[in-house]
Amino acid sequence: MANLSDQPNGALVELRGVTKTFPTAAGTFTALKEINLQVNRSEFVAIVGKSGSGKSTLLNLLVGIDRPSAGQVIVGGAAIQSLNQDQIALWRGRNVGVVFQFFQLLPTLTVIENVVLPMDFCNTYPVRERRARAMRLLEQVGVAEQADKLPANLSGGQQQRAAIARALANDPSMLVADEPTGNLDSNTADAVMQLFQDLTATGKTVVMVTHEREVTRWVTRTVTLADGKIVNGAKGGHDA
Amino acid sequence: MLSPRWKKLVRDLWLARGRTAMMIAAIAVSVFSVGMVLSTYAIIARETRQNYLGTNPASATLELDRVDDALVRSARQRPGIANAEARATLLARAQVAPDEWRPLLLFVVNDFNALQISAFRAEQGAFPPPTGTMLVERAAVSMLNTRIGEQVVVKTPNGARRAVTVAGSIHDPGVAPAWQERAGYGYITPATLAWLGETGGLDELKIVVRDQPMDANAIESTARDLAGWIQTQGYTVKEIQIPPPGKHPHENQTIALVTLILIFSLMSLVLSAILVAAMINGMLAQQIRQIGVMKTIGARTNQIATLYLALILVISGIAFVLSLAPSMVVGRAFAAAVGNLLNVNIVSDEIPVWVFLAQAGAGLLIPVLVAFVPILRGSRVTVYQAITDYGVSQESYGRGIDRFLGAWRGMDRKFLLALRNTFRRRGRFALTLGLLAAAGAMFITGLNVAAAWERNLTDGLAARRYDVEIRLSRPELTAPLLECIGKVAGVKTVEAWGNESTGMTKPGEIDVVNTYPDGGHGSFTLRATPPQTELVKFPVLSGRWLNSSDTDAVVLNHYALALFPNIAIGDRIELAVQGKPTTWRVVGIVREIGSPAAAYVNYDAFANISGQSGMTRAVRVVTSAQDAKRRGEIIHAVERLLNESDVSVAMLISDTELRTAVGEHIAILITLLILMAVAMAIVGVLGLSATMSTNVVERTREFGVIQTIGGTSRAILHIVTSEGTFIGALSLVLAIILSLPLSLTVGNVIGTLAFRAPLPLVVSPLAILIWGVIVLSGAALASALPAWSASRLTIRETLAYI
Repeated sequence: MANLSDQPNGALVELRGVTKTFPTAAGTFTALKEINLQVNRSEFVAIVGKSGSGKSTLLNLLVGIDRPSAGQVIVGGAAIQSLNQDQIALWRGRNVGVVFQFFQLLPTLTVIENVVLPMDFCNTYPVRERRARAMRLLEQVGVAEQADKLPANLSGGQQQRAAIARALANDPSMLVADEPTGNLDSNTADAVMQLFQDLTATGKTVVMVTHEREVTRWVTRTVTLADGKIVNGAKGGHDA
Repeated sequence: MLSPRWKKLVRDLWLARGRTAMMIAAIAVSVFSVGMVLSTYAIIARETRQNYLGTNPASATLELDRVDDALVRSARQRPGIANAEARATLLARAQVAPDEWRPLLLFVVNDFNALQISAFRAEQGAFPPPTGTMLVERAAVSMLNTRIGEQVVVKTPNGARRAVTVAGSIHDPGVAPAWQERAGYGYITPATLAWLGETGGLDELKIVVRDQPMDANAIESTARDLAGWIQTQGYTVKEIQIPPPGKHPHENQTIALVTLILIFSLMSLVLSAILVAAMINGMLAQQIRQIGVMKTIGARTNQIATLYLALILVISGIAFVLSLAPSMVVGRAFAAAVGNLLNVNIVSDEIPVWVFLAQAGAGLLIPVLVAFVPILRGSRVTVYQAITDYGVSQESYGRGIDRFLGAWRGMDRKFLLALRNTFRRRGRFALTLGLLAAAGAMFITGLNVAAAWERNLTDGLAARRYDVEIRLSRPELTAPLLECIGKVAGVKTVEAWGNESTGMTKPGEIDVVNTYPDGGHGSFTLRATPPQTELVKFPVLSGRWLNSSDTDAVVLNHYALALFPNIAIGDRIELAVQGKPTTWRVVGIVREIGSPAAAYVNYDAFANISGQSGMTRAVRVVTSAQDAKRRGEIIHAVERLLNESDVSVAMLISDTELRTAVGEHIAILITLLILMAVAMAIVGVLGLSATMSTNVVERTREFGVIQTIGGTSRAILHIVTSEGTFIGALSLVLAIILSLPLSLTVGNVIGTLAFRAPLPLVVSPLAILIWGVIVLSGAALASALPAWSASRLTIRETLAYI
């Protein structure tokens, strides 16, 4: 599976007229309405909005967790809605790192094993190099000394750092984070945001969903969603 | 060095070690049963056959007026004859206690050192036996209440009582075990026969055919040719006996036994398979978020599926390895025990490779096959489905039974919550219910079939309303005999009956019967009943019982029908009576348990045909005794009187002895049925514990939420145990319903094999009660223990549970 490449217009990620609807008992619910969005390489984009505004749905579409009801999601030149589940899994494993609000580290694996796991599934690095690479990533996020502990023995902030290390395991071009600081205290949250900012400095693209408006000091752009529509920040560029 | 995904597999197994152990134990018990029964079957089938064939059993026995050496020599030269030998068989009686006699089948052998057909092997003592002594089949020594070197009083039909010394013992695998037949087997020389007072010499010609020795039709054809030639030489051929070729007299019993265990082993395996499916389903439900996470970081469906299939393979592999040695050891021990019961020497207890392959196939493949679909379904789940999963069937929420339960007023809300929870997780509910219902149905079936067997026996024997049947060596005048017996204190009724060996015949042809050398197995008897007799009341399967006005009517029992399955009511059949063909009209078929094939006709019609009007060779006696001891005393008094009156008794079959004989034939089967039911209960309880605890563990987050909103540990326990008990109760109802067709089917297979008639459907209340207690208390306990553990977790721990 090819690595992410930019669109002819320079965008790494492009959503074209994306609509997402869900069937409910009360009828069809439209979560996103004709969204057009571009994210460029090395951008740090925050998607903000109230609860129910469509933030998480947008994020799910970006990483291929869900498919649009209409429109196109093009990431790194690939229309990901045209891939099957296994192709999406492999593409995501190699090109996108996902960070969850509740960390979602596998509880029966140690921290370093959690970081090695994506390399194992995607077969991206030689077996003998994987542990060393995982250790470097843990050092980069500042939890190397916790490498051989089980996730349950780590604090929330440490778990989130380990989760970021896992997201970086296959050296993806883009990191996608869903409320990454929602479960952390303010100091730890700041440390995580600083980590993301540092990553964009190394060429990574970070897209983050959050309900916290104070993130503007960290990000390069804020996209605001309301009732399934982008009300601000749809265009790419370091304009925030 | 294991990669992280395999480490995850190992640690998941270890983390759920209690449930993993139960799953391994359940599969191991089932695979053990399959391996054990297949080992037993392989050993017993091979050894019984080799023991029996090792005797070089006669293809046919021709019953003649006399057999001399010249005839034997000539017979050996006839076309199609591989070998021939002269013998005689005589039914005598042996005294086993004062006034107590037992049938003694005496086999007369011309030359013990030149045995070539229906051979037996010396075990202890003198061989050949000197004149005035006999060798006794090893299993018959205890039946004759004697020891080697001791004397037994023997009375032959025409001779006086003589004390015969037991010179030694032999092993004869060609006869049914003496303890099952309640008879003795003695082996004597012609000189001893004469010494016992019998004037007749050897009158049987045993032959082994050269071509197609395992084909009954080919044997009959060769035997008829030989018989035709013998008659041209001036001898009289009375009958040709052709037992089923190569088949031990108790082969059907052995097959029934093994089939029974095999059925239950396979049922147990099915049970384990459902257990595996339930467990894997629970595990996948519990790990669905982990699957979602793994897919988010790049795992593909085949990688996830391989992981969980490997997990099943590890579990079933451990179970298979654990079951291997015990199944071999117990299989061999069980084969030895069955061999002992069948009087078969186990020369080699080698278990063939196919048994291990079948065991591996059953133990490894079935769990994998069963788990394949849930694993594939679980592995195919999308990340979106995984991260939005609440474990609840969306279709069931707020509809149907859920709506009904939600609207139920006046019921404890926590109990209602438990009920609604039960129905909302439909997949899990169906598997748990299926497992418990299957286990219960199999347990109840085991005891139902055991009860049906007992009922079949009791009803079958209840159809006989007499206490003893006395068969005489020669015809006696009926009136004085009945008067004599009637005078004995305690004798209530005595009737004269006719009793003759018979066979289907055609005019001008020699009778061919399927009787074994013991004269009992495979025999076909014509029984003549007095008009309007009350001493037998067999259930009529079709047609009717005899009327007093019938002159040519015959009623066949179901064993006789099995011998001649094309016969229908209204057909005319030819039966040989004392060598003469007679024609009868079939008017009915009755079910008769505990008897070989028999045809019933009116006594007067029989007397006219046999030319023995006013004479009889059999009487049936009813006593007024209320207990077995008094009944025994009356029977002994009758026997004593007959001896004093010089009436030669050939055989005396008391109801007690018949019950013992039939009971001994089936005791092992009953024991096995109960053991199998217990095995089902063990697998069921293991499954119950495993699935109920999985049900609870997979809801750990839910308990955290309940605690967050104010639910106490006690409330959680209440909800979980109510849910467990409810599922247990529902499964009990299903198990009872399922057990009915299952009992009927198993009873049909086993009854047909053993009795040539299906067993009746009997519902055992005890089985329902026992299973009810097991499933209700087990379900509550198996839910409460993990729920108690879960309720001790902090809210933070339960909510972090992925």
